[in-house]
This record gives sequence, structure tokens and C-alpha cells, in this order.
Amino acid sequence: MIRLALKTRPDLPLEADTIRPDYFAQKTEAEIAKLPVLHGNQFCALGDFFNVRGGASDQLVLEGDLAQVKRIGTGMEYGQITIHGNAGMHLGAGMRAGEIVVFGDAGDWAGAEMCGGKIHIHGNAGHGLGGAYRGSRHGMNRGMILVEGNAGNETGSLMRRGLVAVRGDVGEFAGAFVIAGTLIVFGSLGRRAGAGMKRGTIVAYQQPELLPTFTFDCVYQPLYLRLILQTLQLEGFSIEEEWRTGAYRRYSGDLNALGKGEIFVYDQH
Amino acid sequence: MQIEAAICAFCGCLCDDIVLTIESDRIVQAKNACALGKAWYTAHSRPPDLPAARVDGKSVEVEEAIEAAAILLTKARYPILYGLSSTSCEAQRHAVALAEALGGCIDCCTSVCHGPSGMAVQGFGEPTCTLGEVKNRADLVIYWGSNPAESHPRHMSRYAVTSKGRLTPNGRKNRTVVLVDVRSTPSSRFADLLLTVRPGIDFEILWALRALVLGRKVEPAGLAETGITLAQLTHLAELMKNCRYGVLFAGQGLTQSAGNQMNLSAAILLVRDLNQFTKFAIIPMRGHGNVTGVDQVLTWQTGYPFGVNFSRGYPRFNPGEFTMVDVLRRKEADAVLSVASDPAASLPAEAVQRLTEVPLIAIDTHESETTRLARVSFMASTVGIRASGTAYRMDNVPLFLKQALTSIYPSDEEILGRLLERVRELKA
Ligand code: SF4
Repeated sequence: MIRLALKTRPDLPLEADTIRPDYFAQKTEAEIAKLPVLHGNQFCALGDFFNVRGGASDQLVLEGDLAQVKRIGTGMEYGQITIHGNAGMHLGAGMRAGEIVVFGDAGDWAGAEMCGGKIHIHGNAGHGLGGAYRGSRHGMNRGMILVEGNAGNETGSLMRRGLVAVRGDVGEFAGAFVIAGTLIVFGSLGRRAGAGMKRGTIVAYQQPELLPTFTFDCVYQPLYLRLILQTLQLEGFSIEEEWRTGAYRRYSGDLNALGKGEIFVYDQH
Repeated sequence: MQIEAAICAFCGCLCDDIVLTIESDRIVQAKNACALGKAWYTAHSRPPDLPAARVDGKSVEVEEAIEAAAILLTKARYPILYGLSSTSCEAQRHAVALAEALGGCIDCCTSVCHGPSGMAVQGFGEPTCTLGEVKNRADLVIYWGSNPAESHPRHMSRYAVTSKGRLTPNGRKNRTVVLVDVRSTPSSRFADLLLTVRPGIDFEILWALRALVLGRKVEPAGLAETGITLAQLTHLAELMKNCRYGVLFAGQGLTQSAGNQMNLSAAILLVRDLNQFTKFAIIPMRGHGNVTGVDQVLTWQTGYPFGVNFSRGYPRFNPGEFTMVDVLRRKEADAVLSVASDPAASLPAEAVQRLTEVPLIAIDTHESETTRLARVSFMASTVGIRASGTAYRMDNVPLFLKQALTSIYPSDEEILGRLLERVRELKA
């Protein structure tokens, strides 16, 4: 296991896309401490900001308030990162496999355009969670993101595949222009959810304000949802029994797009 | 002396039919200009009363101020350049080079007005046209979230409403004018159809309109909050589909209300859909004189219209991460250079707070909150009055602005050019 403890809090944004377990796996402690990070517009060594202990492992533990540290684990291909503290922007963006667990909050664009692996955020997430960068054709494409707190606007926007589950509330335009994939929100689902969605599923547990281009279909018990909820339960999300067995109102849309998307709203009655 | 066909660079209309009368190096009359334009000419032709450069409030030689500014900027590790909306493209070009040399961020007023349009255009393209086409062809004009009578006073008479063109020989009579806004404004009386909507629901309305245009089903319940009925919207959708040439002018009411770039995306998608039935275009109602030019220059040089970062030596774009308000609010910027803009007076309080904490350098044509707050400030000649340069009209047509009066201060272009040269030397 490798431990990185923040010793100097960066006063400018620190871009640490070298903090990746797959990069560390073959390196010694000294080599890791020498890896470059971008502080403002100057490259510094990782060791200038972190106390590095251990080497040659793909199990990484980060300690300290890393809210100013951007791009942790972006593009990683295997291994595990555990963060005790907050994480900055672009956490695990574009990651391919492996796992990131944050015991704190994550900044904007966490898991943006990821294409595999798992991110578990125990605090809140920012905007663009699992979403797409401006001008991109799609957001996350495979993988799983779990958030115990709230998430911001455009959660899962332009998502292509994968699962995003948020225990708390999400902001506006959740699942906007989704191509496919699943977004489950246990708190309140913000306005304009699913705007422009082609396919894909959004599940809500409180009645959201829906766009005029979503139409009500029926009330039924989607079987596959049980499986997804069961998976979430195995991942440590507490799931109530009636959610698994209960009925859901199905709305289909967005009629302005392909119209093959669906929004399920849990039916209490 | 008289100057024919001068260009007023106050707002995005860039009216190029102004006749200036000049007496003893002062503009005494600006014929054809609107009240805003006249006021602009008067304010900027006043004889200069401030020193050309100041450091810590003390008047110094320009050279000395350039040195001071260059040192402050090169020392910074996350500097940001901001503003650039009321200056020439030539100056803007130097600013981009400066941001690159400094490895900093560069952002323009676009990010707080029509930045969302930029993002929407990136996602969905821009079915647009020039104002000349509007004048000659448009028979349906829609102003959405815009009050041209007050913000762009000659927009309606020169281009869009009463102007007579080749296929619109009777001017106003050939056109249907629709206004969509949250309240009635001085522009309302020019409208044939006025839709007063509740604030913050433009997205729902545009989205429903799209569905109606495409002949899809619309849930009336989804319109409950909007303040207008399905019948009203259906009528508008029919108007849009049945016109010969329609144009949608998207104002700041769209970009700066809930939904921001999604509102613009919806508007663009609507216009795109309408082109299945007729010819339709969209033009953002850009405010400041040359704010369109900054987008042009930045895009041409870096590939992105605003919110660009050079920390890594190459341009990266991410609104929300590299945009002025966000960089200041998160207390990331460690030096700010403001050009032809007044961030201290126009940005939110938390952002302004940061301006007071870091070295601030300001270049402007007149004294403002920002120049007063700045550690180093320069006075520059106004482009179009005391300096010449290129500016882009809101429909992306470039025009060359000629100098009318003698210049006393250096131009933005000159100051930025010298600053760039000095920064390059210091960095070498
Ligand atoms: S409409 Fe704009 S450009 Fe034209 S004269 Fe008035 S302020 Fe100047």
C-alpha cells in the first residue's frame, strides 16, 4: 500500500494527473515523490506537496483536504484509490477500470467521460458528475458512480452507458441528452431531468417536475430494477424492501429526441 | 470637418452610417447615432484629464508602468486576463499571445453574458445569418429575452423591423414581430405578438415549441408553470413554420436565466428543426461593441471562444473551471489583468473580493471602479474615436473602425503589444 499525506496545502490549483495507482505500481517511493504535478503554471514534484510512504503497489491511500487537487486518478486503468478528505475537480475522469473511494466531497466533473471502473463518493459531488465535457459527444460510457450525498447540475449528461446512483438530491438537467445508461436518484430530482434523452433510464423516488415532452405510459413493476437495486445494496447502499417490490409510474421521452428514454417514478400508493 | 460613414462601437449593432462633425478635436455632432451612441461619442471625445499610466495611484511614465505590470504578471503563477469586449481585434490578438506567454487563463465578457451561447453552439452548431439578410429577407422576427429598444436602439430600424430591403420593400408591413419576455418593456409596443412568460422557464417553452413544430405530442401539464397556454404556443409554432424567412434574436434573458446554455441549445435546436419547413436563423444579441470579436479572435487563435487556460503551454477550454468568476470565487487567480472592462463593478461580490486581494492591472479608456482599484492602471484611446482597429458586428461581420480624433493615450493594442514584448523578455 502507498500512503500520500498532504503536507503543504497548495494555494493554487494543483493538477495531479500523475496520482494513478497504475503509474505507481512499478515505482519506488523515491520515484513516486519525483513525479511531476502542475502547480499553477509550474511543474513541481509530487513530494513537494505530499509525504510519500511505500511504493510498488496499486493500492493508494490519500490523506488531507485535496479540494484544490485536480485530476486525481484521471484515466487510471487499474488499482484502488482511497481518499480520506475532499477531492478536487475531474476525479477519475476518463478512468477505464479500478476503484476510487472518497470519504469526503468531490469537485465538479467527477467521473466525467469515464469508461469503466467504480467511483464511490461518501460526501457530495459537484456538477457534471459522470457527464460530458463541453463539446464532447458523450459522457460516461460504462462504469458505476455511487454518491451518498447530493450531486450538482447536469449529472450524467450525455451518458452513453453505465450506472449513476445518488442518495441525495441532484440539480437541474440530470441525464440531459442521455444516449443510454441508468441514473437513479433517491432524493429530489431537479427540473428538466432527461431533457433531450434518446434512450436510457432515470429512476426517481420523489415526483419530479417533468418536461412537457414526456408522456405517462403506465404503472408497473420493472423487474430489472430489482436487480439494479440489489446490486446497489451489495455495494452498501441501503435499499428499502418496498422499492424493490413496489410499482413505478413510467413516463417515456424525450419526444423531441428519439423518445425511447424512460423516467420511472416510484409510486407510493 | 465632417467624417462620413463612421462606425459607432458602443453596442453590437456597430452602426456604420454615422456622420461626425468635428471641431477643434472634439466631436460636436454624431448624426444618425442613437442616444446611447451620442452619449458614447460625447463621453469619449472629452479631452483627457487623467495621467496615461499610474502605479499605486501615482502618475508615472507609460514605460515604467509597463515594467511594473510585466513584473507583477510574470511573478504570478495563475494569472487571468479578462474583459476585451470594447477593444479592437488587434489588441485582443496581443492579449491571447500574452496569456500564452504567461501560462495563464484568458476569459472575456462573453463568459458573463453570452458564454452559454458559445457552449450551445459548440454542442449543436449555429444556423445563423447576417443582419443584411435579416434586412432584405426576414418576414418573421422574434426577440427572445431581449429589449432592443433600450439595449440596441437602432437594431429594429436598421436591420430587423422597419428597415426596407429587397424582399421586404414595405419594411414594417412585410414583417411579423414577436417578443417573448418576462415583463413588458419599451420594445413591447413594436410587437405584433407579445408573449409574457414567467421568469426562468424559457427552456420549457422552447422545448414545447420544438415538439409542436415537429408535430409531436405536448403534455399541457408541463406548461402549467410557464404562464402561457398550449394554444398560444401552437399559434407561435404555426407562425414560425409558415414564414418565408424567420430569425430568432436570442437575448441575455435567455443566456442569463435558469438553464443558461441549455436555453440556447434549445433555441438552436428549435431553429434547426424549423429549417425542415422554412428558412430560419438565430443571432445572439451581443451587447458590447466588439464582444463578438473576442470570441472570433480567441477561437481563431486557440480553438475556443472563452474560458481558455494556458497553464500547460497549450490551450484548454472548460467553462466553470477557467472562467473569470469561477477562478476568482475559488480564490485561484493570483494576478488579474483587466482590459476594456470593469469587473470590479460588474462581477458578483465574492469574485470582486478576490480582485482586492491580488495584484490588479487595468487598461481602460476611462476611470472606473477597476482602474481605481488597480495597482497599475493605463488609460487607453477609445477604438473608433481616438484609435483605429477591427471590430465584429453581432452577426460576425468584421468592420474597420477609423480614428476620428487625435490620440493622446496609447491604444490598447500598443499597451498590450509592449507588455507582451516585456513579458517575453522577462520570461526568456
Ligand atoms: S444602435 Fe448601437 S451601434 Fe448603433 S448608434 Fe446606437 S449604440 Fe451605436
